[in-house]
Amino acid sequence: MLVSFANWIHATPLGWAVGGGVPWLWPACETAHFIGLALLLGCVGLFDLRMIGMAKGLELGPLQRLVPWGVFGFVLNVITGVMFFAGKPYQYLNNYVFWLKMLFVALAGINVLLFYATGLQRRVEAVGAGEHAPAAARVVAAVSLLLWFGVVYWGRMLPFLGTSF
Amino acid sequence: MEILASLEQSAFSAWVRESGSLWAYPGILFMHTIGLGLLVGASTAIDLRILGVASRVSLAPMERFLPIMWIGFWINAVSGSILLVADASTKLTNPAFAVKMGCIALAVVDIFLIRRYVFRDPGLDRGSVSPIGKTLAAMSLLFWTAAMTAGRLMAYIGQDSGAPEFFNRIGG
Repeated sequence: MLVSFANWIHATPLGWAVGGGVPWLWPACETAHFIGLALLLGCVGLFDLRMIGMAKGLELGPLQRLVPWGVFGFVLNVITGVMFFAGKPYQYLNNYVFWLKMLFVALAGINVLLFYATGLQRRVEAVGAGEHAPAAARVVAAVSLLLWFGVVYWGRMLPFLGTSF
Repeated sequence: MEILASLEQSAFSAWVRESGSLWAYPGILFMHTIGLGLLVGASTAIDLRILGVASRVSLAPMERFLPIMWIGFWINAVSGSILLVADASTKLTNPAFAVKMGCIALAVVDIFLIRRYVFRDPGLDRGSVSPIGKTLAAMSLLFWTAAMTAGRLMAYIGQDSGAPEFFNRIGG
C-alpha cells in the first residue's frame, strides 16, 4: 500500500521536480528542513527546558506562546519531508533508519497528546516566575527533548546507518 | 596552510574520513547538527521574542538561555574544526564555506550586540524592545539562516569532499 503511494507520488510533477527535474529544489528543501528543525528545537526545546527547571524567572503560561512557532517548524518539516519522499521514495521506504525516525516523530506526537489530554498543560500554564513545574511536566519535557534529538539523530544517520543516498 | 595540509594527512583525519566507524564522520556530523539545534534553536526563540512574538514573556530571564547557545557554539566549533581538518583541501577552496564562516562571524558578533543593546538595556521589559534591539534580532535570524543555507550548499558547490564513502553530494 505504501509502495503504491510511493509510486503514485513519485509520478506526480512534484515528484519529478524534487527528484532532480528542478535541480535546486532538493537543496532548497533541505535548507527549509533545517530551518524547521531550528524553529522546532528552539521554541519547543526552550519550553521543555523551562519545565525541567532552567531559567526559572520565566512564567510558563506566556512562554507557551512560542510553541506555535515550533509547530510551524514541524509543519514545514512535514511538507519538505513529503517532498523528499516524493522525489526519492525508495531511499526512504527501504531504509529502516527512516522508519525509526518516523517512529520517534510519532512517539513525540503521542507525548504532546498526553500533555494536553491529561490536563497537564493546564497545570503548567499556571506556573509562575520562580515556581517549579509539576514533576509529570518535567518527565514530559525530558521525553520530548530526548525524542526530538533522537529524530535528529536518525535523520542524520539516514545515509550512514541506512541505505539512503 | 602547510599545517592544515599535514593535519589533513594525519592519522586522526584519516580515521575521521575513512574508518567507516559511526563515531567518525557520521558521529561528528551528528554532533554538528546538535550544536546547530542548540545554538540556532535558542537564538531563533530569543530573536522571535525580541521581535514581539509571545510578548508577555519577560525578556530578562531569557538571558539564562544564552549558555545553551554557547554550548551549541563550542560543540560546533570543535566538530566543525574536526570536519575541516579532515577535508581541508576541498573545504578551504569552497566558496560556500567562506560565506558560511562570514555569516557565523556576523551572527556571533550580533549575539554580543544583542546582549549589550537588549539584555543590558535599562528599559528592558518596560515596554517593547528598542528599534536597535529589534533590528539586531532580525539580522540574527538572517545571519543564521544564511549560515545554515551556505553550510548545506557546501555539499553542492565546489569540489567533492575528500571523504570517500561518505560523499556529501546527495539527493537530486
